[in-house]
Amino acid sequence: MGKGLKITLIILGVVLIIGIMISKWAIGQYNSVIAMDENVKGKWAQVENQLKRRYDLIPNLVATVKGYAKHEKELFENIAEARTKYFQAKNVKSKIGASNQLEGVLSRLLLLREKYPDLKANQSFLKLQDSLEGTENRIAVERKRYNESVQLLNTYIRTFFGRFFAGIAGVSAAEYYEIPEGQAENPQVKFGE
Amino acid sequence: MNIRYKRLILVILFSLFIVPSSFGVLPPVPQTPRNYVVDLANIIDDNIEHRLNGYLQELEQKTTAQFIVLTIISLEGESIDDLSITIAHDKWSLGQKGKDNGALLLVALKDKKYRFEIGYGLEGILPDSLVGSIGREYLQPYFRKGDYSTGIFAASLAVASEIASDAGVNITGMPKLRRSIPSTKPVKVGIAGKIFTVLFILGAIILFIKNPRLFLLLLLFSSMGGGRRGWGGGGGFGGGGFGSFGGGGGGGFGGGGASGGW
Repeated sequence: MGKGLKITLIILGVVLIIGIMISKWAIGQYNSVIAMDENVKGKWAQVENQLKRRYDLIPNLVATVKGYAKHEKELFENIAEARTKYFQAKNVKSKIGASNQLEGVLSRLLLLREKYPDLKANQSFLKLQDSLEGTENRIAVERKRYNESVQLLNTYIRTFFGRFFAGIAGVSAAEYYEIPEGQAENPQVKFGE
Repeated sequence: MNIRYKRLILVILFSLFIVPSSFGVLPPVPQTPRNYVVDLANIIDDNIEHRLNGYLQELEQKTTAQFIVLTIISLEGESIDDLSITIAHDKWSLGQKGKDNGALLLVALKDKKYRFEIGYGLEGILPDSLVGSIGREYLQPYFRKGDYSTGIFAASLAVASEIASDAGVNITGMPKLRRSIPSTKPVKVGIAGKIFTVLFILGAIILFIKNPRLFLLLLLFSSMGGGRRGWGGGGGFGGGGFGSFGGGGGGGFGGGGASGGW
């Protein structure tokens, strides 16, 4: 009798310990999926900060360029359109789409310095160009960091247990900030034409 | 075992896990800059390099801002924007943690490109447009003539003086210069570093044999605390007895700065 009780107690103890370990692990998993989700959101906020910075710079840059390149009406209209599109975008995916559209026309704006050499001598254009290039670079940096955080989350969600815990926590896979193929980050300037 | 002893071991173990981390992704650049001017392309005149090292050291002593000049021969296909933030942010973590007051001037000789990488905390003092102007006014004209020394010197002083004047300090420079023989310096650091490493490993082994439980505990602790490189600038040890750069302080960069070519 005494022996039986002892064995029962040992089994109970082992079950209890295993139970505690499993619940500790489960809580850890749950917390980490929440942390990953928050990380993605935080990184996206950084991306948005930089995107906003870009949109604040554009009106000044356009105003400066307009003085030299009055005939580039179509380009200015495209920029204005892409800018409006960004501000109308409600979710991450459409914001990314609008940003990519704007990136293309912005690089064309900067390329005007090759067509209108006077621009290159304009100090305020050069400074705005520095600011814009700096902002583009910041966006690239934050985009990379954001994508890394998305990768962390999305990889986890695709694992066997990850799917389960993400479901409980109500976390879904995040959207990568991808640049469309063929859109070079730095515009290629052709010389000797 | 008293607390002091435990703390000492903790410090030893902590450093143990930082020292052997000498596996880099970027082969040509040192794991930690030995000095403020890292002239890998060997384009800076020794005298100017020496003076600049002195000024930048004084700048860090007075403002805690870390400004490093790095010249390399080739980007080897990498974009200068990517390389410079990888070095400044991920590899060297220039600037103090929390203040993010680091800056890097990277010059790639063969590619004819340069970039100023400015830490978060210095973006206000050194906005992209100002840094771009500094590059155009001080660096480009000399570089085009092939006078890299003067270009780097002038541009670096322009950046350093912005940081100094914002902090309200004066860089006296010359009198602060250390007159040590450059060729003996790296050897000194190298031997000292090796001795330290051996001592750390020995200490760890002894501890492991004598008290494996404490060893594991400290291991856990140090790996928790070691997530960010926080030595040197933070003020632990390595406070600069060698007259050279003490290591990045864990500052962050967000891509601020300006690039250019010549």
